[in-house]
Amino acid sequence: MTRATRRWRGAGYVLPLVVFLTALFLVPLVQLLRLSFNPVDAYNAALPGFTLSHYGRVLTEPYFYGALLHTLLTAVLVAVLCVLLAYPAAYLLAGRRPGTLRTVLFVIVISPLLTSVVVRTYGWVVLLSGNGVVNRVLVGSGLIDQPAQLLTSYPAVVVSVTHVLLPFAIIPLTTALGGLDHNLHRASQTLGAGPVRTFLRVTVPLSLPGVVTGALIVFALAMGIYITPLLVGGVTEPLAGIRVYDQVTTVFDYPVAAALSFALLVITLLSTTLLGGAFRIWERRLYG
Amino acid sequence: MSGAGHVEIDDLTAGYDGARILDLDHLSIHRGEFLSILGPSGCGKTTLLNCVAGFVEPTGGRIVIDGDDVTALPPYRRGLGLVFQNYALFPHMTVADNVAYGLKVRRLGKAEVAERVGEALRLVNLEDFAGRRPRQLSGGQQQRVAIARALAIRPAVLLLDEPLSNLDAKLRREMRVELRTIQRRIGTTMVFVTHDQEEALSLSDRVAVMNAGRIEQLGTPDEVYRRPATRFVAQFIGAANVLEGTVTAAGLLDAGGILVGAGTLRPGSRAVVAIRPERIRLDDAAAPAADGTGAGGTVGYRAFAGDAWHVEVHTASGRTITVQVADTGGGVADPPGAGTAVTLRWDPSDVIILDRDARDPDGDRGGDPAQAAHRAADRDPDGGGP
Repeated sequence: MTRATRRWRGAGYVLPLVVFLTALFLVPLVQLLRLSFNPVDAYNAALPGFTLSHYGRVLTEPYFYGALLHTLLTAVLVAVLCVLLAYPAAYLLAGRRPGTLRTVLFVIVISPLLTSVVVRTYGWVVLLSGNGVVNRVLVGSGLIDQPAQLLTSYPAVVVSVTHVLLPFAIIPLTTALGGLDHNLHRASQTLGAGPVRTFLRVTVPLSLPGVVTGALIVFALAMGIYITPLLVGGVTEPLAGIRVYDQVTTVFDYPVAAALSFALLVITLLSTTLLGGAFRIWERRLYG
Repeated sequence: MSGAGHVEIDDLTAGYDGARILDLDHLSIHRGEFLSILGPSGCGKTTLLNCVAGFVEPTGGRIVIDGDDVTALPPYRRGLGLVFQNYALFPHMTVADNVAYGLKVRRLGKAEVAERVGEALRLVNLEDFAGRRPRQLSGGQQQRVAIARALAIRPAVLLLDEPLSNLDAKLRREMRVELRTIQRRIGTTMVFVTHDQEEALSLSDRVAVMNAGRIEQLGTPDEVYRRPATRFVAQFIGAANVLEGTVTAAGLLDAGGILVGAGTLRPGSRAVVAIRPERIRLDDAAAPAADGTGAGGTVGYRAFAGDAWHVEVHTASGRTITVQVADTGGGVADPPGAGTAVTLRWDPSDVIILDRDARDPDGDRGGDPAQAAHRAADRDPDGGGP
């Protein structure tokens, strides 16, 4: 068998996936892209033709570009929070020997992924509502007199989105930390470095690939998330995903929604590619 | 420090969940010596090393280094060097930074760090590689960096955990010479853990042979090879043929038809002896027996190993005796092939007495190694004649 035919046989293995993705992801995406360039009539219905006006609106109206900026900052904040919160959990998980306890801990970590985002988000709504658990504890303990407006607040959005996306940071971090050669820690210790120094000089630098992977996954997901911030923060929360949802469900301006979606997609792709690429280059320089 | 050695290990025990992995009476390591801990996997040698390094907490006993009890100290306060089988270099640091790691921890000045890094790298002939990353080096070079890194902190003792086992055969021999040269030059005490008897014998001042968590024998390489204290040592080092039987009226040991002349054995007693494969000669089956010792048998297996032949001979009583015959080249004196009847012969001086007046086959197991050594060396005052 020649090398070429072998390569084509390899392609055969991924053919079902290619067909699936083309039909159900790529084709709709291209249609959405075409829609974003269609002019609209007085009732916002798409017409045949070509216009850049929707992208013009997205880039000039603060309602849209402000949302993009806000989304970008929120996604960065959530990614940072997720990595910070995930690190200790992943460290604990990776440090345990394989066994029942580790399996149980790992299932607990990924269990949020087993329930729907909507269900988990309603959990937050229940917790944060006017007479929810959080408010009752705060009022009951005398910390505040009146129930606080927790829902529809920005902190509530950040907290709930962080919670929803946390497993996506824990999983790659656990893999990265679990793959570290334990002898490196021992080497560091015999050379006189205590646990803290060993952690900072050996564990953290060598777990950076996991940190970057986790941060990028969480960032990309946070850029597009809308159900959780919509339910917790309300439709006025200025996130791009909610703005798209709003354009589709209440304004019925599909082309603008499509243009905003693509602007969001491009920003996400650009920032993840740049960050990932920069890290790859840095890594290559570091390890030689 | 009268009588006290450099490293003193007493009554050291270690284990998990009731299983005792290590049960050491006493081990004294001299300053500046190269001591090998030799044993099969699972014998406790790595646990012993980890106890000394501080990674395994012993369940009992104590470890004293230069008069200080370090048993309760964490690894980073012991000031020991450790070299790993897989090198364990920090991949994100240059060779120089790896070597400087322990010095920076000690907050030495920049100039002194640079000087000592240079010194350590010169010692392992890698001064030109200071700026490289570990991944850009070969296995042998990486291990030399690891040795330089461990020595840069001027450790009281350098512990080496199977450091040559990941290298190929040729490199392993070269590294052996290099390691010994370094040790001679700087005089650091080295404790070398290995399962490779050839490594242990060729490198060490002394060898501690371990089995089942205990030290079976501690002695110079030629002592443990020529005068093994126990059956285990005889078989583990040099794969000796161990024969057990009753001493005849003529003073010969009869191990199932194999007659061994061993001089001072008491008739009627049971004894255990060992004969090295390279000390056994193969004679024609028809050759007359001069002193009545030896055994007849049939060659069952013959293999050429370059410098020697490995031959297995099955005796009439069903024993298999391994014989090693040096190759003389040219094929003139090659040993006979499978199926040939032969006579096994040896000189009485090559018979190692492992146990006289043996009560049960494992009678000397776990006894004091020094005593066992005396017994084997025929110097035991109360084990001797009738």
